[in-house]
Amino acid sequence: MKNRAAVVIIGGGINGVSIAYNLAKAGVKDVIVLEKKFLAYGATGRCGAGVRQQWGTKQNCILSRESVKIFENIKDELKVDIDIEFKQKGYLLLAFTEKEWNQFHKNVQLQNSLGINSKLLSPQEAKEIVPFLNTEKLLGAAYYEKDGHANPFLTTLAYAKAAEKLGVKIYKGVEVFDIHVKEGKIKGVYTNHGYIATEKIVNAAGGWSQEIGKMVGVDLPVYSERHEILATEPVNEILGPMVMSFSYNIYCQQTPHGSFVMGYGPKETSKSMRSTWQFLETMAKKVTYLLPPTKNLRVVRQWAGYYNISPDRQPIVSSCNEVEGFYMAIGFSGHGFMLAPAVGVIMKDIILGNKLTWDVVLDIGRFERNEIIKEPSVV
Amino acid sequence: MNVAIFEEKEFLGGQLIKQTHKFFGSKDESAGIRGIYIAKNLINEIEKTENIDLYLNSMVMGYYEDGVITALVNNKMEKFIPKKVIIATGAFEKSIPFENDDLPGVFGAGAVQTLMNVYGILPGKDVLMIGSGNIGLIVSYQLAQARANVKGIVEISDHIGGYLVHASKVRRLGIPIYTQHTIVKALGKNKVEGAIIENIQTHEKKEISCDVICLATGLMPLSDILNQINCEMKYIPELGGFVPIRDENLKTTVENVFVAGDVAGIEEATAAMLEGELTGLYAAYEITGKFDKRINTIKERLKDLRKTSSKVVNGLKKLNLYEDFIVEPHESLGDLHKTGIPEEEKIENLLSSKKERFAILECFQKIPCNPCVSSCPTNAIKMDGLNEIPKLDYDKCIGCGNCVAVCPGLAIFVIDKKKESVILPYEFYPLPEKGEFVEILDREGNLLERNQVLSIRKMKDKTNLIEVKVSKENLKHSRHIRVVR
Ligand SMILES: Cc1cc2nc3c(=O)[nH]c(=O)nc-3n(C[C@H](O)[C@H](O)[C@H](O)COP(=O)(O)OP(=O)(O)OC[C@H]3O[C@@H](n4cnc5c(N)ncnc54)[C@H](O)[C@@H]3O)c2cc1C
Repeated sequence: MKNRAAVVIIGGGINGVSIAYNLAKAGVKDVIVLEKKFLAYGATGRCGAGVRQQWGTKQNCILSRESVKIFENIKDELKVDIDIEFKQKGYLLLAFTEKEWNQFHKNVQLQNSLGINSKLLSPQEAKEIVPFLNTEKLLGAAYYEKDGHANPFLTTLAYAKAAEKLGVKIYKGVEVFDIHVKEGKIKGVYTNHGYIATEKIVNAAGGWSQEIGKMVGVDLPVYSERHEILATEPVNEILGPMVMSFSYNIYCQQTPHGSFVMGYGPKETSKSMRSTWQFLETMAKKVTYLLPPTKNLRVVRQWAGYYNISPDRQPIVSSCNEVEGFYMAIGFSGHGFMLAPAVGVIMKDIILGNKLTWDVVLDIGRFERNEIIKEPSVV
Repeated sequence: MNVAIFEEKEFLGGQLIKQTHKFFGSKDESAGIRGIYIAKNLINEIEKTENIDLYLNSMVMGYYEDGVITALVNNKMEKFIPKKVIIATGAFEKSIPFENDDLPGVFGAGAVQTLMNVYGILPGKDVLMIGSGNIGLIVSYQLAQARANVKGIVEISDHIGGYLVHASKVRRLGIPIYTQHTIVKALGKNKVEGAIIENIQTHEKKEISCDVICLATGLMPLSDILNQINCEMKYIPELGGFVPIRDENLKTTVENVFVAGDVAGIEEATAAMLEGELTGLYAAYEITGKFDKRINTIKERLKDLRKTSSKVVNGLKKLNLYEDFIVEPHESLGDLHKTGIPEEEKIENLLSSKKERFAILECFQKIPCNPCVSSCPTNAIKMDGLNEIPKLDYDKCIGCGNCVAVCPGLAIFVIDKKKESVILPYEFYPLPEKGEFVEILDREGNLLERNQVLSIRKMKDKTNLIEVKVSKENLKHSRHIRVVR
């Protein structure tokens, strides 16, 4: 293992490898990624991997819009021959309450102004897209056909391979247990495989990013919470879009492989990464009500992962005032997979001191400046 | 105390219900009884016991942090909160890769046994067996009993993996064992029509025509539930792969969770039954606080059983168990280990008696097994320990044939020099008639002569005794008969 680097990235999730790739692509030499277990061990390998552009804040809209452009042309971008199984059959967002329906109107307006051509549907129109949808009490839906999902393992692998081709070193099974800071400046990291000298560290440790912050003495405004999810046996394609409802609290999609992947937001916060039977019971009730044919499916797996949540449910992609050379890409809540292609670009801009490629405010200072615009549309 | 058993299948018995052969072991642990009957006896006991709830067709799905076990019972998720959990999920088969290994006709040995012995379906006519461990040998024998044609047993090592009495059993049927060979390719377009095997030393290839390739290449603990509940596991090749770390009472690193049988490490049925008994008693002790002395005797019996299995004991040592335990060194069995055929000299020794009629114990390998001892009406058979080789007191032996019928290895014969006859164990159909001329075969299944059946003793446990006339020079070689009609 190398013992010095220009940049050390902590975390081999989708964001860690995307940042590594973008730095290397911009010509930065000696980039290292440290991953304590294996690539995509964290939220990335455990997520629903949905990709949507129908957001309620300008920034999330821009980041996801730009990420989708990259997902669509991933082979040209990364120049590796890996199919990330990007399926664009849309997101169907369901409104069951007046408040929600009003929000959808606003969202669609915002999205359309940013080149995201989403639209509002009546319950009947929604049923045309998902014929077996239970439309009882449904007020309407929002839909954008360019939304979809990708395979998170293959996407991570594609970024990792591309980064490695450009000289990035990715070390798996290497855990950072402390960070060397001297006079407010980053000096290096201590790992279970020895010390690495560096002046720049990127905290891309997802659900563990709070702990990394503590290593440099900074209390990061994020917390991690267990989210559960399950997959069924594969069947022929019957569901095109990701179906999602905020008030009913559910998301459900069918992957190209044929299995259904679904989840909902938990009622209580837990630090455990284990699964619960309560999730199975509640999930089964929810999904079979909304999408009745799913009652015939068998569950083959359930698992859990961390959402790393920031105060405004928007990512923190930032440098750090207190510690020079400490950067972070954290607090992605339930949408850090889909934003990762753009986040890599932004983080590269920040580290190189460039003007940001897109007009977004993701720095950690926004909380002190009170410039918080909370994302209204999350599970 | 209430006990609930969850079984995914619609019947109890696991692997046992496919084992139509007699088990080794000590008389106290059902030695000499066929696996299927052991299963029957155990199932009867369970059904008779009122405080056991049986959940058949019930798959356990998970054991959660809050102590809840979920199981799919009648297609519904049911929840249970047990005080103790014993996981006895057994093992699944390993496979080896070779060209065309996905052709229809390539089976695991377990599948062949299930088809044949549970559902009465023969998987094919001509079978090539891969692997000469006990499973490969036993399934070959069972296939032959079901009248499939076993074309050979392929073994990559330079010696036979399973017990040599099992090897001798298949050799006398005329089944060759190709040591130092492996399969490189399955032939056929839409299904298996043959196989190419290769000598790993000379690289000489051989084509064998067959419609079934049966893989008996080892087992791996079925540890999904252990992984789901975060049991600490360790990779121990001697025990078949990842096995749970546990103490001598089979308690895992997760509170209240025990393991027993193959899921704890690949061994054999007797050990599995003892482990089952041990964990049951120990779990009960933890609940009631009343120590049952049988716990200690079972541990001793397990140790006794493992005296000759260096592989298992070495595996257990890696788990910091059996640390001071000394395994008896492997005896060198010469050619017998390579061929399944004892050397001439060993046979001559057994035949040296001046007596007219006596038993021949072709039992040369240390196996934990003793039913012959108690079967003898004159106490002529002695063993110094469960694993020792039986010794015959020729003066006491009257050549009754009791031991021939009980030997699980079918390794005992009676010869009568005056009458010029041999008594053989016979487990095939059809049975010959008295007076019928049959083919007399040697230890490799070669035809020695045709001669007459003198008597047939139909035994309750279906190892029938056939006494055949043989000419003097063939007395010491005649080991099997073939009925030709
Ligand atoms: C159930 C669920 C469903 C989700 N659904 C979606 C969805 O549909 N769409 C979407 O876009 N997002 C979704 N998300 C969110 C998404 O998964 C995450 O936001 C995203 O994967 C975060 O990626 P990351 O690279 O920042 O972090 P992670 O993928 O968590 O990677 C962090 C890595 O850091 C490593 N690490 C931690 N500490 C150390 C250390 N000290 N030393 C070395 N390595 C360390 C970890 O092992 C881990 O691999 C979902 C999340 C969950 C849990």
